[in-house]
Amino acid sequence: MLVDFEIIKRAQAGDAAAFNEIVLAYRKRTLGTIARLISRPEDVEDVGQEVFLRLFFSLDQLRTAEVFEPWLYRLTVNAAYDYLRKHRRRMESRMSDLSEQQVMLADAMAGGRVDHDVRQRKQISEAVDSMLSAVSEADRILLTLKEVEGLSLKELEKIYRVNENALKVRLFRARQRVLKAFGEASKEPNAKGAAKAEI
Amino acid sequence: MDALLRVYREACPDPDVSANFMPELWRRIDERQRSVSFLGRWARALVTAAAVLSLGMAAYLYIPHGGSSVFSVESYVEALAAGHAQDSPNLPEPAADEL
Repeated sequence: MLVDFEIIKRAQAGDAAAFNEIVLAYRKRTLGTIARLISRPEDVEDVGQEVFLRLFFSLDQLRTAEVFEPWLYRLTVNAAYDYLRKHRRRMESRMSDLSEQQVMLADAMAGGRVDHDVRQRKQISEAVDSMLSAVSEADRILLTLKEVEGLSLKELEKIYRVNENALKVRLFRARQRVLKAFGEASKEPNAKGAAKAEI
Repeated sequence: MDALLRVYREACPDPDVSANFMPELWRRIDERQRSVSFLGRWARALVTAAAVLSLGMAAYLYIPHGGSSVFSVESYVEALAAGHAQDSPNLPEPAADEL
């Protein structure tokens, strides 16, 4: 826990200073999770504010301070899920422009404007993003929480309110779908693939 | 895939938070609170108006309004007889039996 239970109880009682303290403690971590869930850096703060806004108006529904972190994760996941669902069409249209973006990135790299680390991070981020964009928002979020955020099955149980076995099955199926989608995408000899290979 | 996702975690560290984050968050909270309180005021006004109207109607129905009232205390047969008073023939009184 990044804050004391007492602060959470004070925030539940309507103490604005205590709520401010909670936001200050959790905002960086929450924004990091959102950034990895939605892969749109320009919208991360907006979604993060939506998470804390929902937290502010639902804090009185929290039964015990002990379950605060899974609660916050659930709000984060729901906000990310809403965002991804709302922006799916927009993201799809952007994916079709990816080859153009990649060409621009390749130009920048050739000109030496982007240093090695940034280039590598961008490549990894794009590879994971394109791999996860082939499956549903639910699969994407579940896999990201487990494999990227490193949450345990116990923590995921509290977030999803399902038992461990059900989670294992969902994770297995999500993983299979990602691999299948990625395998199919890699077989398609299209312009996107060619551009990726060039980079 | 697992390895790629692990590398992704390292490649995407937690982002820096802009200075505008907290002021913007509190602005959104205030905005939402204002709209919630506005809706709450409207809801309370509507409930009050509905309660006043219900009481008015109850009082109107409770107070008797003489014969003009839609609701009558007469029985069905009495009401029917009163309604058809004009239609009934004026029969003469039966003659007393003279012994």
